[in-house]
Amino acid sequence: MTTVTKTPQATEPASASRDTAARTRRSERRLALVFLIPTVGGLALFTFIPIVGSLVLAFFKWDVISSPKFVGLSNFIDIVADGTVRRSFLNTILFVVTTVILQLSVALGLAALVQSKLPGWLRSIFRSVFFFPLILSAASVSIMMSYLFNQQFGLVNWLLGHIGIPAVPWLNSGPGAIVMVILVYVWQNFGFSFLLFLGGLASIPREVYEAAAIDGASGWRQFSRITLPLVSPTILVASVMAIIASLQIFDQPYVLTRGGPGDSTRTAVMVIYESAFQQLQFGRASAIGLVLTVLIMLVTAVQFRLSRRFVFYS
Amino acid sequence: MTTNTLVAQQRSKRPLSARLASTSKIVFLAIAALFTLGPVVWTILTSLQPPTESLGATPSLIPKDLSFESYKAVFQQVDMVLLIVNSALVTLLCAVGQMITAAMAGYVFAKIEFRGRGLLFGLVLATMMVPMQVTIVPVFMLIRGMGLSDTLLALILPAIPTAFGTFLMRQYFLGLPDELGEAAAIDGAGPWRTFFSVYAPLATPGLAIVGILAFNYHWNEFFRPLIMLISEKNYTLPLGLVTLQGNKGTGSVATILAGVVISMIPALFVFIFGQRTLREGLTAGSHR
Amino acid sequence: MTDISRRAVLGVVGVGAVAGLTASWPRLTGSDIPGRGTDALNVAILGTSQDAASRAGLVQAFNAKFPHIPVRILAIQGADWSDFFAKILTMVAAGTPPDVVVVATEGAQLFADRLAAPLDDYVTKDAEAMSDYFSDVHPALIESFMYKGHLFQLPIDFNAANMYFNLGTLSKAGLELPSSTWTVDDFLSTARAMKKSSGGGPFVSYYWTNRLWGGVVPWLYINNTSFLTEEKSPGGDWLWNRFYAGDPAAKGRSGGYLWEHSNALAAPVEESFDVLRTIVREGLGTSPAQGGGNQLVAQFAGGSIGMTPAGGYWVEGLSEAGMAGKEYDVQFFPKMQSQKAQFGSSGYAIMKTSKRKDDAWEWVKFCVSREGMKLAFPTPNTTPTRRSMCNEALFGAKGPAHWKVFYDTLDTLPSAPIPAPPQQAAVETALIKNVSGAVTAGSRSAMQSNLRALDRDLTQALKIQA
Repeated sequence: MTTVTKTPQATEPASASRDTAARTRRSERRLALVFLIPTVGGLALFTFIPIVGSLVLAFFKWDVISSPKFVGLSNFIDIVADGTVRRSFLNTILFVVTTVILQLSVALGLAALVQSKLPGWLRSIFRSVFFFPLILSAASVSIMMSYLFNQQFGLVNWLLGHIGIPAVPWLNSGPGAIVMVILVYVWQNFGFSFLLFLGGLASIPREVYEAAAIDGASGWRQFSRITLPLVSPTILVASVMAIIASLQIFDQPYVLTRGGPGDSTRTAVMVIYESAFQQLQFGRASAIGLVLTVLIMLVTAVQFRLSRRFVFYS
Repeated sequence: MTTNTLVAQQRSKRPLSARLASTSKIVFLAIAALFTLGPVVWTILTSLQPPTESLGATPSLIPKDLSFESYKAVFQQVDMVLLIVNSALVTLLCAVGQMITAAMAGYVFAKIEFRGRGLLFGLVLATMMVPMQVTIVPVFMLIRGMGLSDTLLALILPAIPTAFGTFLMRQYFLGLPDELGEAAAIDGAGPWRTFFSVYAPLATPGLAIVGILAFNYHWNEFFRPLIMLISEKNYTLPLGLVTLQGNKGTGSVATILAGVVISMIPALFVFIFGQRTLREGLTAGSHR
Repeated sequence: MTDISRRAVLGVVGVGAVAGLTASWPRLTGSDIPGRGTDALNVAILGTSQDAASRAGLVQAFNAKFPHIPVRILAIQGADWSDFFAKILTMVAAGTPPDVVVVATEGAQLFADRLAAPLDDYVTKDAEAMSDYFSDVHPALIESFMYKGHLFQLPIDFNAANMYFNLGTLSKAGLELPSSTWTVDDFLSTARAMKKSSGGGPFVSYYWTNRLWGGVVPWLYINNTSFLTEEKSPGGDWLWNRFYAGDPAAKGRSGGYLWEHSNALAAPVEESFDVLRTIVREGLGTSPAQGGGNQLVAQFAGGSIGMTPAGGYWVEGLSEAGMAGKEYDVQFFPKMQSQKAQFGSSGYAIMKTSKRKDDAWEWVKFCVSREGMKLAFPTPNTTPTRRSMCNEALFGAKGPAHWKVFYDTLDTLPSAPIPAPPQQAAVETALIKNVSGAVTAGSRSAMQSNLRALDRDLTQALKIQA
């Protein structure tokens, strides 16, 4: 930025154009400043300062009513000792692993089918359908699913009853509730990965498949030998996005089960919410949040490490 | 006879196994589509039942008698109009605000060189790593300090600066050739004019993606409204619907589902009009 | 040219945006909410804006007497009391606490411990008006809002857990409404008969919700036990001696309940859980549902549920769902070791932080007066605490034949509030999360291990310094 300031007030012939260049440069810098302020300033105010605030708060005990008290590491010691917090992190990890695997495989499978030889109108219908749940709110989806899967009166158990399966306690038993949260989450979110895969698949040239077909490779072989490697960059992007999103899972378990039965569907973000706004333990909430952030950063770092080995860049 | 020849013709075109494979493929996709749309269709059908009959003794797929009573009831039980206005205000302002700020910052990061640009952009991207739920307590206190507790602005202001939108717009501007700006400069346009008359109009598709994503996210948002809003008059739709599931066992299923259906309508418009943009934009974004 | 026209368009859009923003500014800042930011007595209630509107008459009548005290009712929505308290705590955190809050038993001690101001001086000062109130209200309700010798709320309504019967289901099983002294064995045989006669279709004899009020607690109380130890603090004589001197029901009343330790491993607790386990095992009842149970009304009215615990509050809900009073009836909970009844109550608490405590007291006092209570409860969506108000006028038209059961529960049975120490949120979570496991346990030893987990979680929860 300092390069232009040295321009002397010379009377050389080139000075006129250099003068304009300098003016342009100044004007450009003003523009950069004005254009960056809302985003950079906004992020500083609403993200950076709060991050620092959380870091500090994690070492205090604070209930808003009385003044904050420095307690050292005791919030962290408390949350490690607390069974509910431990369980919530285990649940979060369980949800991340299951939802990401399900979401990516369902999305990739469907995208591959939709993108293969199909009548055009069918393709566009299917494309729209699988994308649809994405536009609904997690709260609405959870409300409607809680009625569909109601143990006594829900349609799902009624249908299952017709094929001789006794009423499944979807929301009233630990395993049932875990399955519910995973199902509802995947149902709503696979559309996003699906969209990404559609793009990834579309970029694979048709000739590659035709060549493979001539060599006698078909179906599964084509998929595993051609599609998977060529779509692997998209898999990386989709999995990074899916993992970061599912680490923050809150809406579905909050509306479906409030974290129950027991702690079986309580997630890390739910514990943050409960500590902060139901128990007014803001320091503890911040401490839990920090642990979650560290977890997210670790996962992302590991993913990019792994990707260097397994992702095929053409 | 004719059918026989037809079949024979078809056979000659494609082997049986291929036809079987393609049929089973379609059947499979159709089943997947049924699972995807089924819950939504059921929701709509159930919402068309009178409030007292929904989820009666036996669940039914098709309502016995159609009625819009539940829709009337949901408007009586909660101020649906206000919920919609609130949601629309928050969503609209978040979307427009994000489009404007992301376009400006994305442009600078893509087209204007200055020292420390890489570092600054890296910092902006880094904020995406920290989930919003983690910083909610300090943000809540910040909002309190600004005197905005329990207002819609408490949802809007912190949502306007967007790292992801900035990233998308930067990608978009990087895709536009530098020559355009250089040509404008030769014509005597300053940096401001170059942006407003040359680049900004070309960036509309990118802006549409940022806007649609913001719309979809904030229309459906639940966590921040749950914390930031206290007065019922400030509630947004998702929050209103969840609390509509009344206290101590009142409230009817059909009524609540009617509310759910109403909340889907604006999202449906985005679906119809924004689907293509979003699909193309996102897939392009993930490739560059 | 195109540039000019585009500028014109942009200009119009810009002006439109500014105009739109200006027009919506009051909505964005919440300044269009009536009374916001003005100097009024802020009263927070659990409910919808309709509930707030239904109190307009109350506010009007209050203002006829106290024109200088403007009142603003803040309706706060929530699926249950813990949602409501979370919102109140959020308001405290936001630096905008209300002056007066309706607090239920669930949060009474939390508020008394941290947020509410004691009413002792006001009650003593206004003894005359108060005598009229206390003489009409059962002392058990008052005691439930005493904490460490001080009174923090004047109860306005309560709900005891009574048993609701769908009479159609009952007669299909060839049975009549059981007597007031029926036992748990009678309950089980009733449930079995209902199940047998139900035929196909989804049906449960006994439906219950897993929560503090009406969950396992009534079953523990009728066995004279609880999942927490129940002790009482000394004190409170200032009130009992002055206002309840001649009342035999007030004998031995204390300075409030103390629930300080887990009692989950006591033998009688196990007996009560055994009853519930039997109910679940035989398919007589549901494994308990989480949450508010909003589908209950339609199910009960539709005949899919035979019995369920509820209080006077349910009469209005059932009536709205189209169920006439003669189609169902109520009775006390059955007997085990005792027939001790559980109830939850609510009343106005004055916040410690309020700068208008005297005004707040006028409001509290007005709301417990005959006039105030009549205006507050025009429909049977709860049970008023004034005995004289639980009358034909309120319950006669819409209610069941034995609506008198609602108040008789207090007058004829021993009773206690649901156990809600200051750490109620954590305690309720600990309870709820272990109950489903315990009642669905396949064996007695599995149930016992669930109870041990409950004991551990409760001990942990009670350790939280509230």
